[in-house]
Amino acid sequence: NMALRELSSLEKYLGLKKPNKYSTQGDKKVPVLQNNNGPPLVGLVTIACHLVKEANRPELLGDSAESRAVVQQWLEYTVTKLNSCTKEDIKTILKDLNLYLQDKVYLAGNQFTLADTFMYFGLHPIIMDLAFQEKEQFVNVTRWFDHIQHYPGVRHHLSPVVVLRNRIYTSRHH
Amino acid sequence: MKLFVSEGNPQCLKVLCALEVTGVQCDVHYVNHEERVVPFLSRPALPALLLPSGRHLFSPNAICRYIFEVNGQESSDLCNQWLEWEATHLQPALAEALHMAVLQGKGSEVSQVLQGPLNFLDQSLNNGNTPYLIGEAVSVADVVLWAALCPVLSDSSLVLGKHKSVKAWFDHVAAMHSCQSAAQKVLQGKGLQGMKSYMQRQPAPQSSQCRDTQPCNS
Repeated sequence: NMALRELSSLEKYLGLKKPNKYSTQGDKKVPVLQNNNGPPLVGLVTIACHLVKEANRPELLGDSAESRAVVQQWLEYTVTKLNSCTKEDIKTILKDLNLYLQDKVYLAGNQFTLADTFMYFGLHPIIMDLAFQEKEQFVNVTRWFDHIQHYPGVRHHLSPVVVLRNRIYTSRHH
Repeated sequence: MKLFVSEGNPQCLKVLCALEVTGVQCDVHYVNHEERVVPFLSRPALPALLLPSGRHLFSPNAICRYIFEVNGQESSDLCNQWLEWEATHLQPALAEALHMAVLQGKGSEVSQVLQGPLNFLDQSLNNGNTPYLIGEAVSVADVVLWAALCPVLSDSSLVLGKHKSVKAWFDHVAAMHSCQSAAQKVLQGKGLQGMKSYMQRQPAPQSSQCRDTQPCNS
């Protein structure tokens, strides 16, 4: 189950000492976290935000009301748009993200947040399948993707993807 | 900040409701369904909020969350859980239900499409035993779910006979003047027919069967 692997990677990134036990619920295999202090928490984004607060890293959810809304928006985007899309949808998603990221280092602007982590997880299979020309076509997405996969402690369960070749090098040697 | 909405778009009901309930001040602009407000999105997306910093929000739930936070009400874990359920479980079913009821004239099949989500909501409200989704006060979760369900549940052809707790909660939220006023602005008192021109511009929803058997990215 991808969602459970993503939560386990997040736990490692956050440096949580005791790994949590998860179960899943329903046809869509939605993750469930048994919570000692209250009712169980259900849903990938809900649990991820809870873990970030547990780890006392609120800045990962954004440092202002605006940033927090932007982070939640992209988290919602990853669970609604990325997880049930057609080939055609993928092109639109990449085109939109490419335009969005042209003047940004991270999804919420200049600060690394949970939205980068989950967008990276969600885009990983898509970027893996891209041809080199497409990687060059969506250069802002691939630049951002490469930055996040090298961000300390993020990659964990996923394989590294070679995203950009050195243009000068390849034009001289091929 | 500036909020862009269009008449007859059920997603816009959420954000107008959030503004009315919280009393947060904001310029509201009515535009066409096709208006491209968010510069980086290739398809028109409404509602959209232009933030003071110049950034855009295009998710109705994120906009509602922001409006409540500006009003001093940050969302809790439980609130997050309802908003995530609304986006991932209720919306796909509602898109299918509205498509059937508004464009195909199959209003009688709506209750079957919504059966699963309504059962879940009914059970949760029953277990919680509080007037609102989270305790004794209205939260962003009530506003988002109420506004999402308002177009279908206000239609007389759908009877909530089996879902007594949903009916009690829905009527309780509907009794707030602010919610009625937002619903009037979006639906113009025309009920489901008020959404026809919006629905005609939406891509046909995938049926729940295809959605579950053909994930491209699992």
